[in-house]
Amino acid sequence: MSRIIDVGLEELSVMLCRMGELTYETVFLSITGCLNGTNVYPQVHEMSDALVSMSDQAEDKTFELIARFQPVASDLRTIKSYMKIAYDFARYSRYALDISYINEQLGGLKECEEWISEYIEKMSEKVLNMVRTSINSLRSHNTELAKSIAKTEQEVDEMYFGYLNRLVEGASTTSKCTISSVLIVRYLERIADHATYICESVIYLATGEKTTLR
Amino acid sequence: MSYKIEIQSLNAWFGSKQVLQDITMKIKENVVTAIIGPSGCGKTTLIRCLNRMHELTPKTKVTGRVLLDGEDIYSENVDPVTVRRRIGMVFQKPNPFPMMSIYDNTAAGLKLNGVADKHRLDEIVEKSLRAAHLWNEVKLELGKSGASLSGGQQQRLCIARALAIEPEVILMDEPTSALDPTAAAKIEQLIRVLAEDYTVIIVTHNMQQAARVSDFTAFLYLGRLVEYGSTKDIFENPKSELTEKYITGEFG
Repeated sequence: MSRIIDVGLEELSVMLCRMGELTYETVFLSITGCLNGTNVYPQVHEMSDALVSMSDQAEDKTFELIARFQPVASDLRTIKSYMKIAYDFARYSRYALDISYINEQLGGLKECEEWISEYIEKMSEKVLNMVRTSINSLRSHNTELAKSIAKTEQEVDEMYFGYLNRLVEGASTTSKCTISSVLIVRYLERIADHATYICESVIYLATGEKTTLR
Repeated sequence: MSYKIEIQSLNAWFGSKQVLQDITMKIKENVVTAIIGPSGCGKTTLIRCLNRMHELTPKTKVTGRVLLDGEDIYSENVDPVTVRRRIGMVFQKPNPFPMMSIYDNTAAGLKLNGVADKHRLDEIVEKSLRAAHLWNEVKLELGKSGASLSGGQQQRLCIARALAIEPEVILMDEPTSALDPTAAAKIEQLIRVLAEDYTVIIVTHNMQQAARVSDFTAFLYLGRLVEYGSTKDIFENPKSELTEKYITGEFG
């Protein structure tokens, strides 16, 4: 016989893994739409709504587990971390929605200079890898994988500030491209932050250590 | 999900003292329903009314209806012994028959009901002890006295004894209050497993236990049903201020 709380924890874990997969698809779709100049805002909006609702359900479940089982030690850490991770996933989808909205309103990066789309494509690859790392480390509670995100997080930060510096130093582009690309790199950088938060939560739930990977 | 038991306007007395007042509630099949409330609120009386045990105490009275699968167990043509066969009970203190072996304790109800075939008895005893998650611990010493087991094992033996007569509903009256936390946790896990095949109604003074094991919770106070709903709702967002005060420890 397993512990009664294990049924609830497993349910929550499955819920989060499903959320993880959907967030990856959402972020991937919004970035691809942006790079290809395809308007994917309606689809991303739908996916984002679904994720917000899943996040609410996960939060409800954590609340129920706390109220019913008075969790302690690793159970309590797991529940607290899952609650945070559900929020982080919801943030992924929110930034994905923002990216697709900018794409819809200001046009895709295809209309911008080639170096801009190349730069953002490179940054997107790193960010998508980080999203994948966060999901995989959560699925297996793999702390080594979680720690490995720190290096990419630093690279994404450098790319973000590097991009801003390039514009400040006078790289010529249209004001429309400036606005849309700055917002997009900002959202990508924020997605990378949330991927890192998730990895920190994975380390906390598995070991009890509060680590900063940023 | 259908209703296994429907309690309609149930009242109960000890002598002239009314201990249950106008209780109406529907209990779903194959779920765990917990009854909570402070001492003396009528929890035990309520479940004793569900298998007609209350009337075994002198000078008691019951009015109202209790429908089991739609049939009133208080109808004149219903035999209370048949009711108790369909609705088994596990008590607060483990009460195996001390002079009987583990085997005979498990088979006691069957023998009383006229089952004499050894092969059939063997089968049911094993099945019941397995269902009570006790088989692996006692299978090599079935001839030993039931009283030689630990408190937790004795309680699981009593559960096996109740299961042996193949009831549909199991009533449990504070089944873990005489046990240490480890033995109590095993009984709680067992309750969850039992709910897959039986309708379980548990009386407990331990609110955390009700929260952990039950799907639905009823809060009784001074013989009245104050609130009844899903355990999630009762413990997260009770509707009655009285329930809120009780479960947050303001009284009780």
